[in-house]
Amino acid sequence: MSLSKIKLRINGKEIEAEVEPRKLLVHFLREDMGLTGTHVGCDTSNCGACTVLLDGRAVKSCTMLAVQADGREVTTIEGISSGDDMHPLQKAFIEKHGLQCGYCTSGMILTSFWLLSKNNNPTEEEIRKAISGNLCRCTGYQSIVESIKYGAQLMKEEEKGEQEIRVR
Amino acid sequence: MTTLNWKEGDLAYDSSLFVRGKGHFVDDLKIPGTLYMSVLRSPYARARILSIKGGINGSELKAKMASVGEGADPSQTVSIQPVFATGYVNYVGEPVAAVFGDDRYKATDLLENVEVDYEPMKPVVTIDDALRLPPIHEGMKSNILVQSSRGSDFKDPDSPIVLEDTLENERVATNPIEPRGIVASYSDGMLNVWVSTQSVHSIKDGLVESLGLRPDAVRVMQTDTGGAFGSKGGLYPEYVIASYASMKYGRPVKWIETRREHLSSTNPGRGVRGKVKIFAERDGRIMGLKGDVLVDAGAYGTGIASFSAGFIAMMMTGPYSIENGYVIGRSVLTNKVPQGPYRGAGRPEASFFIERMVDLLADELKMDPADVRLANMSDKPFTSPLGMKIEPAKPFFESAVRELEYRREAKLTNGVGLSFFVLVPAVYPGESARIIVKDGMVKVWLGGNSHGQGHENFARKLVNEELGVPESIVTLFRGDTGMTLDGVGSWGSRSAIVGGAAIVAACRKIKRKVEKESGNYSPELLLSGSYDEFVYEEQKIPLNSFGANLATVEIGKLGNVKIKKCAAYYDVGRALNRDMVIGQIQGGMAQGIGQTLHEGLYYNDDGQLITSSISDAGVPLAEDLPNFTVKIAEHRSSLPHGAKGLGESPTIGVPTALIRAIEVASGKRLRKTPVTPEELIQ
Ligand code: FES
Ligand code: FES
Repeated sequence: MSLSKIKLRINGKEIEAEVEPRKLLVHFLREDMGLTGTHVGCDTSNCGACTVLLDGRAVKSCTMLAVQADGREVTTIEGISSGDDMHPLQKAFIEKHGLQCGYCTSGMILTSFWLLSKNNNPTEEEIRKAISGNLCRCTGYQSIVESIKYGAQLMKEEEKGEQEIRVR
Repeated sequence: MTTLNWKEGDLAYDSSLFVRGKGHFVDDLKIPGTLYMSVLRSPYARARILSIKGGINGSELKAKMASVGEGADPSQTVSIQPVFATGYVNYVGEPVAAVFGDDRYKATDLLENVEVDYEPMKPVVTIDDALRLPPIHEGMKSNILVQSSRGSDFKDPDSPIVLEDTLENERVATNPIEPRGIVASYSDGMLNVWVSTQSVHSIKDGLVESLGLRPDAVRVMQTDTGGAFGSKGGLYPEYVIASYASMKYGRPVKWIETRREHLSSTNPGRGVRGKVKIFAERDGRIMGLKGDVLVDAGAYGTGIASFSAGFIAMMMTGPYSIENGYVIGRSVLTNKVPQGPYRGAGRPEASFFIERMVDLLADELKMDPADVRLANMSDKPFTSPLGMKIEPAKPFFESAVRELEYRREAKLTNGVGLSFFVLVPAVYPGESARIIVKDGMVKVWLGGNSHGQGHENFARKLVNEELGVPESIVTLFRGDTGMTLDGVGSWGSRSAIVGGAAIVAACRKIKRKVEKESGNYSPELLLSGSYDEFVYEEQKIPLNSFGANLATVEIGKLGNVKIKKCAAYYDVGRALNRDMVIGQIQGGMAQGIGQTLHEGLYYNDDGQLITSSISDAGVPLAEDLPNFTVKIAEHRSSLPHGAKGLGESPTIGVPTALIRAIEVASGKRLRKTPVTPEELIQ
């Protein structure tokens, strides 16, 4: 099968690659890029385990081809924090036990990342609605909802902290 | 093992890695030269195979499945599943051949090269078909896989109230979000296997038996396991095939299940029907219970199905002091994927049967359901005629009624359900643990393997308590048959009990060694030395515990059920980690709601699976679920660390409370899960 050239940004890095036109974005990320934090949980775009950010928007990377990401910006779970630092949402999921087996976690965090980028103070109902394209079989969702609420709070605190530093 | 992309430190349980996307799930494992496996599966529920060409198939690999894992019954012979269908296919999704390619896309392409000729036959699809039609397997007299009974038959007491009903739980797909998967790598006479599992020892024993390998030539290692709920406890055909192929080709072989394969080919749970008759007095006392339980075993008797029938029968009087009981349990063969354990594995079914009858009796007598329950409880221990031992039930139930604020809810709400149950954890025969102390660190392995429950938390805590070392130097590693000689598995609400007891025993053994060497014990003495202890701690007393649930609902015009309140009050023994306990309970409550309202695995008259996606199968969404109210009682068990079981409590107690709430709110007698909106508005 002939290969297609694609150029995109993944987690802030410029990437050029050759892929089979039929390859799904999720397989490109996991297998060619070694970004195994993006998971596969279904074959009908129901579970959300494969969620990534495409130009800042949460999408299911099993529903698109790698070639469709040409020229775009992809952020995976590995890209929302660097080194030992953690994004407030990551901290919140640990502290509020927003995970058990951990398989749905990357997708949950990226979907809530997107939610909070649009709405930094979501209600419980808005959170539940936003993550209803992401299935979790372990937690019953309550601790995930609490994690997202807490993450929103941490993000606001962090922002405030940064503003104060800037003011000073 | 040098070609792995994982180092030793990557083999520990560390849930903080998941938020960074740095877990170690089986599909994340990369070994150069890996072949990807795709499985060609039967499109028919039942057919004669006239010919197969291509791939590895049953003419080459003639192995049979070994019966291992939860509820395994090695006595089954005629109905044992072949690894590849041979002669006949017996369910949609049964493996017929396997092909191997350099990547997953190529492997899928290669499926086209396999040619199979089938001659379709009339399938046995339902329990009634199974009882009526000739056996699906040659060499059997009927489709009855096992028949057993509990208690002894008794003359019908001449009670004023006699009630009879037929109750049913539809099959449920376990649906962990991570499907099944395996990597098998054979080199230098050693088969190394990485697998998403609840029990590395079951998988190892199964491979050894199925492929006739030497036990010391097989090592099975657990990867991070993305949920399991019973379905990853035992051997599956794909594991045997991948291992065989790796030995044949001298390359690592990876197989990752798709969701569609999961629905058609991973053992689902439930699928049980019970006819129950109770004899009662006007004051609510049940004088006797007779039951006839039928388990839809699916096409082969390799798994838990043959065990289920007797197990359910044993628990049919629930937590109640019913003096006369006689239950016949039968598992029957149908042309569907073999049944397996799903969180609760027989316990929710038994509880569904008795609780539905107690509620029916309350309605008949116009008594409050809590009072009918109270009329059948004792403040003394009780041994049921079916062989179950229970502690005094009354004191716990009375506190549950208070803690769940049942009386108040019952006054306020039209649509409240209350349930009561006894959890029988699968403690037998015990569990293993190994502890190595070296270079100032404590490393722990357990025979049964965590898959989201966070066993590392209780491991650290118990080592800290027993040996006085800080939790920060204690690490629990994922299951590895190279590190534990023997072991059982994580299922049946057992791990905190038996895994915990094994850790305590191993710690005490080490402590005695330190004392013997040095005359006394201190953590410093311990950490300055090297110790390595393996224990297999036997456990035969079941350590049953009680639990109760309450649910309140409203029903919309279209028959949609809105859950207002879903509450639990469980005796969890000593809670080794409160957050983990609450998390387990909440997750299980979601599954209890799922079974009651949404989840089913449906086949049509031709035995074709018509449930085609994880959403179709009814896994609940965040929007579908309420917040849960969870309360726990901590009545320590007789074990040194005081633990009891809890993992399955919510899947036992929630369906019975919730279906009762719906029954009251709708005014319709409900006999089956899942409850559909259609039946509520009919
Ligand atoms: S893998 Fe399930 S939605 Fe993408
Ligand atoms: S934590 Fe297991 S699926 Fe969500």
